[in-house]
Amino acid sequence: MIEIKFRGRGGQGAVIASEILGRAFFLEGKYPQCFSVFGGERRGAPVFSFLRVDDEPILLKCQIKHPDQVIIFDLSLAGEMEISRELKQGGIILINTSREIGSFKELRAFKMGLIHAGPIARKAGLGDTYNTAMLGAYVRLTNLVNLGTMIEAIKAMVPSKVKANIEAAQEAYQQTKIYEVAGISLS
Amino acid sequence: MTGNHAVAHAVKLCRTPLIAAYPITPQTAIYEKLSEWEASGVLKGIMMRTESEHSAMASCIAASLTGVRTFTATSSQGIALMHEMLHFAAGCRAPVVMANVNRLLAAPWGFWADQLDSLSQRDTGWIQFYCENGQEALDTVIQSYKIAEQVYLPAMIALEAFFVSHFMEPVDIPEQEQVDRYLPPMDLPHKFDIDKPGFVVPVVSSELYRKYKHMAQVSMDSVKEIAGQVDQEFKKEFGRGYGIIEQVMVEDAEVVIVTAGSITSTTRLAVKGLRKQGNKIGLLKMRLFRPFPVEAVQIALRGKKKIAVIDRNISLGSGGIFCQELRAALIHSSDHPLIYSYIAGIGGTDVTPEVIQKISLEVMDRVDPFDQPIWVMDG
Repeated sequence: MIEIKFRGRGGQGAVIASEILGRAFFLEGKYPQCFSVFGGERRGAPVFSFLRVDDEPILLKCQIKHPDQVIIFDLSLAGEMEISRELKQGGIILINTSREIGSFKELRAFKMGLIHAGPIARKAGLGDTYNTAMLGAYVRLTNLVNLGTMIEAIKAMVPSKVKANIEAAQEAYQQTKIYEVAGISLS
Repeated sequence: MTGNHAVAHAVKLCRTPLIAAYPITPQTAIYEKLSEWEASGVLKGIMMRTESEHSAMASCIAASLTGVRTFTATSSQGIALMHEMLHFAAGCRAPVVMANVNRLLAAPWGFWADQLDSLSQRDTGWIQFYCENGQEALDTVIQSYKIAEQVYLPAMIALEAFFVSHFMEPVDIPEQEQVDRYLPPMDLPHKFDIDKPGFVVPVVSSELYRKYKHMAQVSMDSVKEIAGQVDQEFKKEFGRGYGIIEQVMVEDAEVVIVTAGSITSTTRLAVKGLRKQGNKIGLLKMRLFRPFPVEAVQIALRGKKKIAVIDRNISLGSGGIFCQELRAALIHSSDHPLIYSYIAGIGGTDVTPEVIQKISLEVMDRVDPFDQPIWVMDG
């Protein structure tokens, strides 16, 4: 079973992103379980969304305390130490950031993907909603679902601007920088 | 889909012509989905947007007595406000079906899972089911109409906030033709004829009141058998069945954990883990709560030495409510087992496999009876 945590703010699309990713896994024959925890029902408030994926129906009906993977929409919400403490050993991190890998001193024990998703979304005409760009980056980083399946899931689930969302996912897939542990570049 | 949307699908599949409701978190998604379908024409019924839950239930009762299927959904403060009308629904023998998303009761305020809201309504004369996931909630709504419309009593389906209502999981949606085959149109013998107006709820003599109550009790008792039959028919048609209770590895168990709702699901996993370590732990799931399946529970737990009931609720000054009921049900059993009341998951706190494991191992070591509820403060 894989446990994934999405960290974002209300309005950034982290919840929808977790649902789209769940759908993509479902389309590939897996059993997803997706749920969200809100700090407050308003834009800008911290939002956590969770996704479990397994080969069989998931019996756990409780929160995810130590995820295998964390997807960070907004770095201002958590310090590196906090992320490092909550992630399982051998975990994977995807971060939306313009920073270089060298600046993430506390996360060198994890495989990481960096993507500056904002400009990609804006270029595709999506404004500040960069969740589909994050999903494209996720596919590139983890290789756990096919890009084609992800596009199918995006088509089925985004409420509008389907073409722009697909473009954002594809562009982010291309631009994602991947680093094995200790910041060694793979791309 | 979420548990809330699963419930909405069930209501649509049952072709319920009258839905009266008032939104309340975390049930609102049921209401919104049905409203969306009403607006798009997918739902053939009417949504009544009432000014309160009290009025929603009053509307359901009135509509039900004209012989149509009705539905409402509520939660927490909503079901508390509805309390008076719940007695009316049962007393009028109106087979109203309701989903209650279990949310804690204020104060203090919160939106989190806690079964006290529906358990506080246990004496209102409603049938009550507790569901562990969205699929079961969907299936139980369909089954509830079939039961309620045979015994002329209202039925409540309880699903916990967040862990069921908001967990998005694969759910199998039955075909409309299957549901039509399974659930015949409602036929209420005592329905109102609007061309010949009548009067409902007249003042009665003490003797007549007693007679009505006795008749309702006889009907309520029959639910234990009817719910079992309805579930078997359901399994034949849809391939899924649940039983009024379910036993998991109880036969050789030294300790049986008793749960209701979503904690059951997590316990299934915990029990597997405990078995692997060589601990003989079993699980008894309580699905039907009203009527309480006394005989089924007695048979399931015959000869057991130790039982731990996990309650996501507390009756202050007493203990976990499922535990109270279970202790009462087993009072005449020979070899009366030790029954421990564990309070876990109150106010939506997390009940992990580790918590269940800890309870199980603790009970393995216990030898003396303990009357007080035992609070689990981790998670």
